[in-house]
Amino acid sequence: MSDDPLVRVDDLHKRYGDEEVLKGISFEMDRQDVQVLVGPSGSGKSTLLRCVNRLTEFQGGEITLDGTPVTEMDVDDLRRQVGMVFQDFNLFAHLTAKENIMLGPRRVLGKTEEEAAERALDELDRVGLAAQADSYPAELSGGQKQRVGIARALAMDPKLMLFDEPTSALDPELIGEVVEVMEDLAEGGMTMLVVTHEMGFARAAATDIMFLDQGRIVEHGPPERLFENPEHERTAQFLERLTRLHGETR
Amino acid sequence: MSAGEADGDADADAGGGVAPDARTAGPRRSRAGTLKYVAGAVLWGWVLLRWGNDWLGGVFVPRGQAFVPPATVAGLGDAIPVLAGVANGLAFAVHYLPNLMNAMWLTVVLTVVSITLGFPLAVALAAARSYGHYTGWAALGFVELFRGTPLLAQLFVLYYGLPWLPAFFRNLPFVGEGIVPAQAVWVAVVGFTLNSAAYQGEYIRGAIDSVDPGQLEAGRAVGLSKLGSVRYVVLPQALRYAIPGWTNELVYLIKYSSLAAFITVPELLYRAQAFASETYRYTELFVLAGVLYLGLVVTASSLMGYVEGRVAIPGLGNAEGR
Amino acid sequence: MADPVLALGALSADWRYVFGNVDYLLGGLWVTVGLTVASLLVGFVAGLPAAVVEVYGGRYSSALVRNVGVVLRGTPIVVIIMLAYFAFGISPAFLAATAALGFRSGAYQTQIFRGAIESVDGGQMEAARAVGLSKTQAVRHVVLPQALRRSVPGFQNEVTIVLKDTSIAFAIGLAELFTKSADLYQSIGHTTATFELIVFISAIYFALTFVTNRSLEALNDAVAIPGGKGR
Repeated sequence: MSDDPLVRVDDLHKRYGDEEVLKGISFEMDRQDVQVLVGPSGSGKSTLLRCVNRLTEFQGGEITLDGTPVTEMDVDDLRRQVGMVFQDFNLFAHLTAKENIMLGPRRVLGKTEEEAAERALDELDRVGLAAQADSYPAELSGGQKQRVGIARALAMDPKLMLFDEPTSALDPELIGEVVEVMEDLAEGGMTMLVVTHEMGFARAAATDIMFLDQGRIVEHGPPERLFENPEHERTAQFLERLTRLHGETR
Repeated sequence: MSAGEADGDADADAGGGVAPDARTAGPRRSRAGTLKYVAGAVLWGWVLLRWGNDWLGGVFVPRGQAFVPPATVAGLGDAIPVLAGVANGLAFAVHYLPNLMNAMWLTVVLTVVSITLGFPLAVALAAARSYGHYTGWAALGFVELFRGTPLLAQLFVLYYGLPWLPAFFRNLPFVGEGIVPAQAVWVAVVGFTLNSAAYQGEYIRGAIDSVDPGQLEAGRAVGLSKLGSVRYVVLPQALRYAIPGWTNELVYLIKYSSLAAFITVPELLYRAQAFASETYRYTELFVLAGVLYLGLVVTASSLMGYVEGRVAIPGLGNAEGR
Repeated sequence: MADPVLALGALSADWRYVFGNVDYLLGGLWVTVGLTVASLLVGFVAGLPAAVVEVYGGRYSSALVRNVGVVLRGTPIVVIIMLAYFAFGISPAFLAATAALGFRSGAYQTQIFRGAIESVDGGQMEAARAVGLSKTQAVRHVVLPQALRRSVPGFQNEVTIVLKDTSIAFAIGLAELFTKSADLYQSIGHTTATFELIVFISAIYFALTFVTNRSLEALNDAVAIPGGKGR
């Protein structure tokens, strides 16, 4: 069982009305893989991510998590197993950092107040924000918000973490602290599917990079090959441009 | 800002899993919209015909008489027994509607005259509140007084509490003769004008405050006086922003004009109540009156929605709204 | 010490009549306050679920809520009160007035809560669903706590509207503040006190709206989320 890939995406199709945004995507992820998705605006990266935890429904193909098709899983159960980090954080505005992290364990996993609080403080400590436990989102910087967002997802003990452009809404000087946390996670063996323009992260942590354009995979492979020796001129140009814009943040 | 907005991604719609599907809402709404316009056109066509008939001394049928005799409608019930109850109610409506329509005319006049007279007063109050010092305090007192006490109490003070006011109107030439209404109507107009000026003034003030202060500064910078900047730069923007709030006030006034019945103004509610106590058919008459008020309210808000669309400044969202 | 009877002696006969009947009027004040509170509660109990249905409900349930709202908001409250009492025969008058003011307020509160729910960023719902909360849980624990805070200013407005409109229960003779003042000036020999009586009760209404507004503004500050811009 554990030899199976954790995630298998097979010939995935997704339409909004008449517009097909994903036109047959297939790939696999083993445990502890870090899959980085890159591609221009409108290429379908975020949609692909949202198909995995069914924040959006798809029309064709199949996605399996641990061998079970996600469409056959209870949707709440699926999301319990898959954590997600959003571009604009989406921290619950009326809850403190600690309470943000506690909400899922309390209401979904049924943990007690004390258990949830203890876990929340551990996760805040892991992302270096123990001191901000009682701050409200509006009192945190963007980088701090995103680290709380990551801690919130981690507190559910997910099998897989989805990152939807986690640094795109951040000021340049705040990107580093978030990328650092993500690299620690990757090193610790978390399975991660990451949409990002951070080429520094991709080089350092990715097992594979996937280049998506207009709903199709253009190229897919380990970072060394895609950076040094891509098959397609388009891949080379795109990665080169990203590296120029987003590569040297630290 | 939604997730996809930053990079103009097609992924922007990705929240579709949790949001209701917006796509199906479009055509349905427009179909309901068409229905509303057809119903509105039929209603108003009939209302205007009715008013026209009675004003011109009964060109089609005698004044106050139905176009279709109530007996005919009741006869419908005899023909189709299942519908007897409905036909009976309809026949009743057909009998009383012509009279209620004339009362509704007074409701419309009360509302339109009061809100129109209240408007300049409201602009002055709003300007005083936003820009004045002592006048600002005076305006605040006026607004708080009229918004903090029941409208019914205001009408009673004016009509029963200050006997010289109705007496003043009664002594004016022509009042209560021919088409000029009696003094109670004039007192009601005074009450509604003052009350609606207070509310309209607050909506306009909110809108003035929502105009970027830089606009006033820029007006001063091109050499306009403060008054000129307010008049030519701030107000043209603010009055547009004030439309949704102002529509609320119009709707409010249509409904609350019914309170004039308590100071003997023979408007829609007054007449419905009078017929009801004659016939004891309270349900039918109050439902009829309610439907007519509802028709006025829906018409007014649709009209104002249209006006709002027409005067909208391209590219400028409606900042305030309500 | 000034003798209160002497002080009253300095007033006109009409004002003395008003102050001599303060107890009678205060009896009406309690009815007014009770009617306001009861109507607002009915409105809240009806309006909050209605708002949730209007935003998250299916096509037909939300259309139903919307249309009932249009009717209740488009009909004068005096007509609704009279229908409740004379046509539907709800009695006693207090119950009829509570039902009428309550459901009408429910229609307005639906608007207030709907606006507040819609003003909560869609990402909040998405994030709640992503940590595994069901839709109901997400509404209950994430959307509503934020929406209710944002509803306070609108609710404040609604409280004062209901308070002032309780006076319209005069139409069905309910013995609240306004009706009681009318009883007083309609008694023989006291019609000249109309102005004084209505000014007096207007002052009471004014004081009530003033106190309500200040208290709800304080509540608004108390429940504000730290660091938030407020609204």
